[in-house]
Amino acid sequence: MPDTHFYRYDDYDRTLVAERVEQFRDQVRRRLAGELTEEQFKPLRLTNGLYLQLHAYMLRIAIPYGTLSSRQLRKLADIARKYDRGYGHFTTRQNLQLNWIKLEDAPDALAALAEVDMHAMQTSGNVIRNVTADHFAGAAIDEIEDPRIWCEIVRQWSTLHPEFSFLPRKFKIAVTGSPNDRAAVRVHDIGLRLWRNAEGEVGFEVIVGGGLGRTPMIGKTLREFLPKDELLAYLEATLRIYNRYGRRDNLYKARIKILVHEIGAEKMREEVEAEYAEMKDGALKLPAETIEAIARQFAPPALPHRPAVVGAVEALKLEDRDFALWLKSNVSPHRMAGYRIVTASLKPAGAPPGDASSVQMEGVADIADAYSQGEIRVSHEQNLVFPHVAVEDLPVVWLALGRLGFAEANVGKITDIIACPGLDYCALANARSIPVAQSISNHFASLARQHDIGDLKIKISGCINACGHHHVGHIGILGVDKNGVELYQISLGGDVDFGKTALGTILGPAVAADKVVEAVDALVSTYLEARGEGERFVDTYRRIGAQPFKDRVYAAV
Amino acid sequence: MAKNLSGDLSVASANRLTDGVVVFLDDSGEWTARLDRAAVARDKRSAEILLERAKTEAFSVVDPFLVAVAEDGDGAIEPISLREKIRAAGLTFDAIAADAVRYA
Repeated sequence: MPDTHFYRYDDYDRTLVAERVEQFRDQVRRRLAGELTEEQFKPLRLTNGLYLQLHAYMLRIAIPYGTLSSRQLRKLADIARKYDRGYGHFTTRQNLQLNWIKLEDAPDALAALAEVDMHAMQTSGNVIRNVTADHFAGAAIDEIEDPRIWCEIVRQWSTLHPEFSFLPRKFKIAVTGSPNDRAAVRVHDIGLRLWRNAEGEVGFEVIVGGGLGRTPMIGKTLREFLPKDELLAYLEATLRIYNRYGRRDNLYKARIKILVHEIGAEKMREEVEAEYAEMKDGALKLPAETIEAIARQFAPPALPHRPAVVGAVEALKLEDRDFALWLKSNVSPHRMAGYRIVTASLKPAGAPPGDASSVQMEGVADIADAYSQGEIRVSHEQNLVFPHVAVEDLPVVWLALGRLGFAEANVGKITDIIACPGLDYCALANARSIPVAQSISNHFASLARQHDIGDLKIKISGCINACGHHHVGHIGILGVDKNGVELYQISLGGDVDFGKTALGTILGPAVAADKVVEAVDALVSTYLEARGEGERFVDTYRRIGAQPFKDRVYAAV
Repeated sequence: MAKNLSGDLSVASANRLTDGVVVFLDDSGEWTARLDRAAVARDKRSAEILLERAKTEAFSVVDPFLVAVAEDGDGAIEPISLREKIRAAGLTFDAIAADAVRYA
């Protein structure tokens, strides 16, 4: 199936990416020949997404705004099989990491990516990273505008931007086009939220200085409403202020959130607006035809009319409890009657969160071709999404996903855990994440129990860099190393829902690795006993506070 | 039973340049993926010499460094820190197989 409903490389993109592959091929050759030292080579490999982790090189592949065609996903599966160990890890930034790439194979892997309009540029280094978006973009019932149009515009502007190739630190931008924020825009360096004002115009709320990591911050709104055609000028002004004033003397204080915190949102706004005033009518003001040309590439697929209510689906719902639960948790409303958005859970009981084998990726691509216009999305919650599935096709999609092990009816539930790779893979980690996630997943494997517990987001990070977003988990779990022993700090009450964005509060002393499951069980029991009508875990926590949870956990562990 | 847990024992480790595999310097100055063949430095001065030697043999590896190890009664060595245990022994869970279509 052709890639029809999102951006395709033009000659400029293709040339740029092809040249980069050949440059990197030569750099690898020179490194292997001893002509480049590791010190000279490291920044070159990192800027092409190639990290050296604990056991091997890791290639982080950019999946722009989390959108994939079936053709691209098949190519990723093929690359994983040919150059890696036949599986990959979908990340919280909608990327794919291959954990066992050989240095000598990396240029060939990048060349294979380029065949399907993909690359790994700017997935590392102090640059603007892959722009992330709502994984329901282009299909969500609550969407005002497709955020991917703007992500693509930002991607083109930021790729190899000479002024922003040596920022004080990495820089992450997320865009949402819906009032229900599925892109966590308030915890990014810049979050962009499309909304419609009283005059009926659509523009951006520009949120700056959010982020997790060592010093978690919720972003501040610098602009309530920015006309869309002024986006790049405003972003450039913001990046310019950050580039000028962001700290370079201390790695831990170099993110824009620290600058905003230190000088205050008011001063930051003044600086950005002054810079912006100088450039807003300049070359970065986007011509309408440019916006339209990119928007056309994201034109919604022409979905044929399909029935909104299907007897066979209703019947199966009554007959099969697993299917009924799956409909409830993994199927979301679509903007068009007769269609739904389906989330394939990459969190089967006891599995490493976000991992998929080559065979599974190919299976997902087949399902997308047959039932979702050839489109797949990667969510920042490490699942895969079929954006356009007819109601009539839900049973067959459910069965097909079941054969892949991706039909677990747990999206948004306690086993839909976000977890970073942790100390099993990552050179930065202090503690393991995946085995902890597996233990919790196995303990709460019963779907009936999960659905009784309701929506509950557990997020696990293996170090303070917070790739597992633990600060914004309803239950956040942070692995720490204390004198060579893994301990896990638990926090409660984090949230990324728009208007409710909050950072979790640490519950108390960290618990031993083998006590994490008991601690989570104690938290859940406390909630179940105290919850009011319709309350989620986090709602109950907000109402009754930390103490009852704390008492129960520390009595249990 | 470990007989030395003080961190006085160490081996030189690095990642192999071509594929990142964890390797250790052996007594003959070769890099090996087998920890049991690693040259063991038994005091601080020997460790310094071992590291210097590792750095001079670093053409085929990346960033050699010293790993503190413990030795049991049979002479088997094991890294002391969890991080280095995982580096030496691999993942602590079963990774998904390339042809996996379903988790057991």
